[in-house]
Amino acid sequence: MRPLTPTKQRTRGKAEGPAAREKFLLFRVGDETYGVGLRGLRQVLLPDGLTALPAPAYQACAALTYRGRRLPVIRMRALFEGSPAEIPATARVLLTQGQGRALGLLVDEVLEMAEVDPARIAPVPALATLLDPACFRGLYGRQDRIILLVNEDGLTRLDEVVQFYAGGS
Amino acid sequence: MAQTDTMPSSVAQDEVSVLMFLLAGRQFAVELNWVQHILDYQAPTKTPRRPPFVEGIMQHKGRFLPVVSLRKRLGVEGPAAVHPAILLLTGIAQDSVVGLMVDQVLRVLSLPVEKVLTPPPRMLGIRAEFIRGVANAGGRPVVWLDEAKLFTSEEPITLLA
Repeated sequence: MRPLTPTKQRTRGKAEGPAAREKFLLFRVGDETYGVGLRGLRQVLLPDGLTALPAPAYQACAALTYRGRRLPVIRMRALFEGSPAEIPATARVLLTQGQGRALGLLVDEVLEMAEVDPARIAPVPALATLLDPACFRGLYGRQDRIILLVNEDGLTRLDEVVQFYAGGS
Repeated sequence: MAQTDTMPSSVAQDEVSVLMFLLAGRQFAVELNWVQHILDYQAPTKTPRRPPFVEGIMQHKGRFLPVVSLRKRLGVEGPAAVHPAILLLTGIAQDSVVGLMVDQVLRVLSLPVEKVLTPPPRMLGIRAEFIRGVANAGGRPVVWLDEAKLFTSEEPITLLA
C-alpha cells in the first residue's frame, strides 16, 4: 500500500479530528445566563472604582480606570433590562475587547466556563429582542437552559461606547 | 407583506381548516396550514429587551424560536390561563417558526368559505386589518386572526374586555 502523502494525512486527520470547541465564560444578569468568549477576555475585576457617566447621554455605560487607562464599562443589567439596579456583592467586571478596543462588562455574577461546539451556536430569533442583533454572537441550548452569547464587537458599536471613545465621556 | 403572499392555497378551495382556541374567554382561530405543532406550555427563557408581547425563546427539536403571548399582543390583563398551550406557527414571520401562546386549544374546524364573513371595522375591539374573517361555531363567533400581521405589525391591538 502506498503511504499517504503528508498533505493527504493532514486532510484526513482534520476530517476525523474532534471539532474545535470554543470556550465561553458564563455569567448571570438578572435571572438569565449569558456567555462571553474567553478568547478576548483579559481580566475579571471587582467593580471597585466604577464611576457613573453623565445622563442622559449615558444610560448603560460607566467608566473604570484600569492601569491608568479610563475604560468604558457596560452595565449589562441596564442594557438588558433597562433598570438601573444596584450592584450586587457578587458583581464583577469582565474586561474584554471588541474591535481591538478594551471594554468592560459589568455582570451580576460570574458562573463557570463552558465549551461549545460552534456548530451548535444558532442565531438569535429576530423577534426575541429589540437590541441590535450585532450585540449577540448567537445562542445555544444546554439541558433546560438557553444561553445567549454576547458579541464583544457588536457591544463596542453601541452608541454609548462609540461616544465614550470619541471623547464624549 | 402583500395579502396574497400570506394567503395559503386552501383559501381558494371550498373549505378552510382552522385551529380554534380560547383567549380570555373568546373564540379565536388561525389557519391550520400554519400550525406545525401544539405544545404544552413550558416557561420560555427570558430574552433581554424583548418586545412587550414576547415571552422569550424556547427550544423545540433543536431549533430556537421566539414565543409570543397572544394575551399580551391583544393587551389582555388579568390572571394567566391554567393550562396554556403554545402553537408553533411556521412560515409567517421573519423567524421561520414562532410560538404563539394561547389560553386553551379547542379543536380543528372546517369552515365553508362562504360562511366566513368579512369582519366589521372592529370586532371585540380588534381592528379589521388584523382579522381575516369571522365565522360561527356552536352559536358563538370565531375570530379568524391574520396570523402574519400579529407578528409583523408594530401597532398595538386591543381586545375589549
